[in-house]
Amino acid sequence: MDVSDLLQVGASKQKSIQVEKEIPLDIDIGYLTATDPNPINEDEYKNDREEYLQSIARDNAQLLINHLFSLPITSSPDGPLAKLPAPTTILPRAKPLPKPKPPTKWEKFASAKGIQKQRREKKIWDEEKQEFRDRWGRGGKNKELEEQWLVEVPTNADADHDPVKDARDAKRKRVAKNEAQQLKNIQRAERSNASADLPIPAKEREKRKTELDRDLAQTRVSTASMGKFDKKFEGEPKLRGVKRKFDPNEKSADAEKASALAILSKLDTSSRPSKRARAAEDGDNVLNVRKAIRHEKRTGGPPGRDSKARSGKDSKGRSRKGR
Amino acid sequence: MLRVVKPKNARSKRVMLAREPQEVEQAKTCIFVKGSTTGERLNGVMRDLMALKRPNAISFSKKNTVHPFESTDSFTFWGQKNDAPLFLVGTHSKKRPHDLTFIRMYDSRVLELCELGVDAYVPMSDFSGRKPPPGHRPLMLFDSPLFDTHPRFQQVRSLLLDLFNGEQIDAITLAGLEHVVQVSVGPPPPGFTNESDAELPVVHVRCYSMRFLASGQRIPRVELEQIGPSLDLSLRRHQAPDEDMWRAATRKRKMEKKDVEKGLGRKRKNVGVDDAGDMVGRIHLGKQDLGKLQGRKVRALKEERGPKRRKVDEE
Repeated sequence: MDVSDLLQVGASKQKSIQVEKEIPLDIDIGYLTATDPNPINEDEYKNDREEYLQSIARDNAQLLINHLFSLPITSSPDGPLAKLPAPTTILPRAKPLPKPKPPTKWEKFASAKGIQKQRREKKIWDEEKQEFRDRWGRGGKNKELEEQWLVEVPTNADADHDPVKDARDAKRKRVAKNEAQQLKNIQRAERSNASADLPIPAKEREKRKTELDRDLAQTRVSTASMGKFDKKFEGEPKLRGVKRKFDPNEKSADAEKASALAILSKLDTSSRPSKRARAAEDGDNVLNVRKAIRHEKRTGGPPGRDSKARSGKDSKGRSRKGR
Repeated sequence: MLRVVKPKNARSKRVMLAREPQEVEQAKTCIFVKGSTTGERLNGVMRDLMALKRPNAISFSKKNTVHPFESTDSFTFWGQKNDAPLFLVGTHSKKRPHDLTFIRMYDSRVLELCELGVDAYVPMSDFSGRKPPPGHRPLMLFDSPLFDTHPRFQQVRSLLLDLFNGEQIDAITLAGLEHVVQVSVGPPPPGFTNESDAELPVVHVRCYSMRFLASGQRIPRVELEQIGPSLDLSLRRHQAPDEDMWRAATRKRKMEKKDVEKGLGRKRKNVGVDDAGDMVGRIHLGKQDLGKLQGRKVRALKEERGPKRRKVDEE
């Protein structure tokens, strides 16, 4: 037997990987998914359902595998690895997209002032020992005063003055302050997140609440004594007036410029059109209806035609002042 | 003052960080909830589906008095506690026997519900085929045009895809392809349209294990063997997702700079695909300098030369 014959026999035993489909499959290889738009064959379905479904599944799986094996393939310790493109089917997320972290108070200040972030080295040069030491941690430079075996005591110090304790307390205070600032930053971030996330009804409720609070405050000072002799309820909060608010000391240059320009534009009245000119611009509001009616009642003629009316006197020649 | 939850140790901090919204999400965890009454059939269905969904599956095997279409409070709570956005609830009643309800959540709120009745079921244990080990991704086949056109079947497709293959991955080991999940729809009644009130056709879910045979080419020949579970499902009640919520849930992340530079996300100019499926590009060249074009060599057109150069011998 010839080798070519053997090869032919082997090839005839192997089945084809070709699949014929009337309408090509809609393949989303990113999710390893195919949708077959070909309608089902009702006769075959009724004849032998399981067999028929399996034959469709095999054909479609073959097509999907053909597509998978034609993707760019790299080798890996677990075998060949096919690189998948991004999926095209849209599936909903489980959680919303992550929001960028809001800046801390320092970061805001730094950006307003244009302060660049500098990397703080962990090691710091010790002039006395002539070597680099850790800034913090075991044997750190920040514990220098605490770990000194001999400390100078000022002459006016108390009898129980403990310089080591003082240094340690000061350090603890700094740490506590930093922690409090961190906490405040987190709270600020959460508050800004929460207000952005509120659904519309909740926002409306918030608005209504502030309105109610304002009304309540107004009623409290609406008695004859301005609320001075009213009976106070237990736990009634003290009325607080409007607090004056000032602009922050640090402000970005752009904001400052904008506010200054806003004031300037108000000062420069000559360039602004006058009220009448502005009224004339909107075609509908040429006639001041209210004024016209009032004039009509008093004089019985349209405004602008009667010279007497313009001079500020009615038809009987009396001045209108003081009426 | 807002209450700030601060992790007390590194472990809980890691857990908190893992539960925060991620840009690219992990596979969705599914909770399989047993209702107050479930029969043998439903228990089997839940057990088998859970075997396919493992390791991202949690079983609530005690009896729970839940009615997903009446109140979803418990699911919101459970979803938050277990960080699970998918639920499969099995309930059984006289009115709705062998009832399987899919619940999908977004941001710990219920996004949509879909109720399916299990009409027929053959458990995994009845088939002798090789069962897939946990954590393997199936190939999914949706064999009906209705999955593209009919809203109810689109929902079923989306939910099943999310259950088994919802995770976005960059690459897959070809040796790890083990099984196929086929979802097909029975023949629709004559004159069936999206609006018609006729009974919706049955959904068949079949699972097969895959075998690769030599084909004489690089791509292997695929042979399938049924491994179960095989389910026949009928569509019952459903609740479509709220439009605003859906829009929020399908919002896409901003393209990374390197992706944009690669030409993704934005329309690529002058590049297209022709009818044969080949990529065709159009290249713009500069203006051609016709002055340098070589025409016919005629003596009259020759440039005037100076006096004839003499050859100079340098040596």
